[in-house]
Amino acid sequence: MSDTTLPQGNVPTLRTLFNEFADATYTLGYRILGDRHLAEDVVQETFIKIIHSLATYRGEGPIGGWIYRIGYREAIAISRKRRETVMDPDSVTFATLEAPQSVEASVLQAELVAEMDKAIFELSEPVRAAFTLRDIQGLSTKEVAEILDVSESAVKMRLARAREALRLRLKEYLV
Amino acid sequence: MSVTCNELDVLLPEFLDGTLTPAQEAAAAEHLATCKACALEVNELEGVTRLYKEYGALTLPDDARKRIMGTLDLEE
Repeated sequence: MSDTTLPQGNVPTLRTLFNEFADATYTLGYRILGDRHLAEDVVQETFIKIIHSLATYRGEGPIGGWIYRIGYREAIAISRKRRETVMDPDSVTFATLEAPQSVEASVLQAELVAEMDKAIFELSEPVRAAFTLRDIQGLSTKEVAEILDVSESAVKMRLARAREALRLRLKEYLV
Repeated sequence: MSVTCNELDVLLPEFLDGTLTPAQEAAAAEHLATCKACALEVNELEGVTRLYKEYGALTLPDDARKRIMGTLDLEE
């Protein structure tokens, strides 16, 4: 995680935290829910929760871990709510590329990113969450275990499952 | 001492994370130097991690960023 444990009483402003963690929270939300609009809801709800609890944050452990934990819980809550309603598979809105290069390169890259998006969404939710935090966000196995509230061996198992499934699914791109 | 394909499978997650002991790491490397199938598998698994590291993270769109900041300002 990029930050360290804060000294007690040294709590950053909401804007600082938002600037540092909004993209990461959005990525986590999107990778769990597969929907950009719901991922934006995850960001908003996460930071509203942070506003209400920042004053009582006691600086135990990295603040990033605390934020990811809130974001993860928000994403799971939205996911549960969504499962209670009928989900239209066509409603899943995959992210688009932001900075295409040449036309040919951008077409290839867009195809690859679309396949990566679909592939990750075929994994189970707990496996997706572990893979996102470990292999996309670059957190340590220990940090991921704390955020997901599972053992490190459970994280390792989920990671192995994710990597193997994605390897088989994306084989043609892995040359 | 080298490991078998099945033994390497067990070590793979930690091999990819670089958290094996030096002895285990050496045994895995020795196996990979002689087993093309396992070497290909490891190469592909590393490719998965590389791809998602490069393309997996997203940026919150500017319009959403502004809208959410506006909502947060009101909440504060």
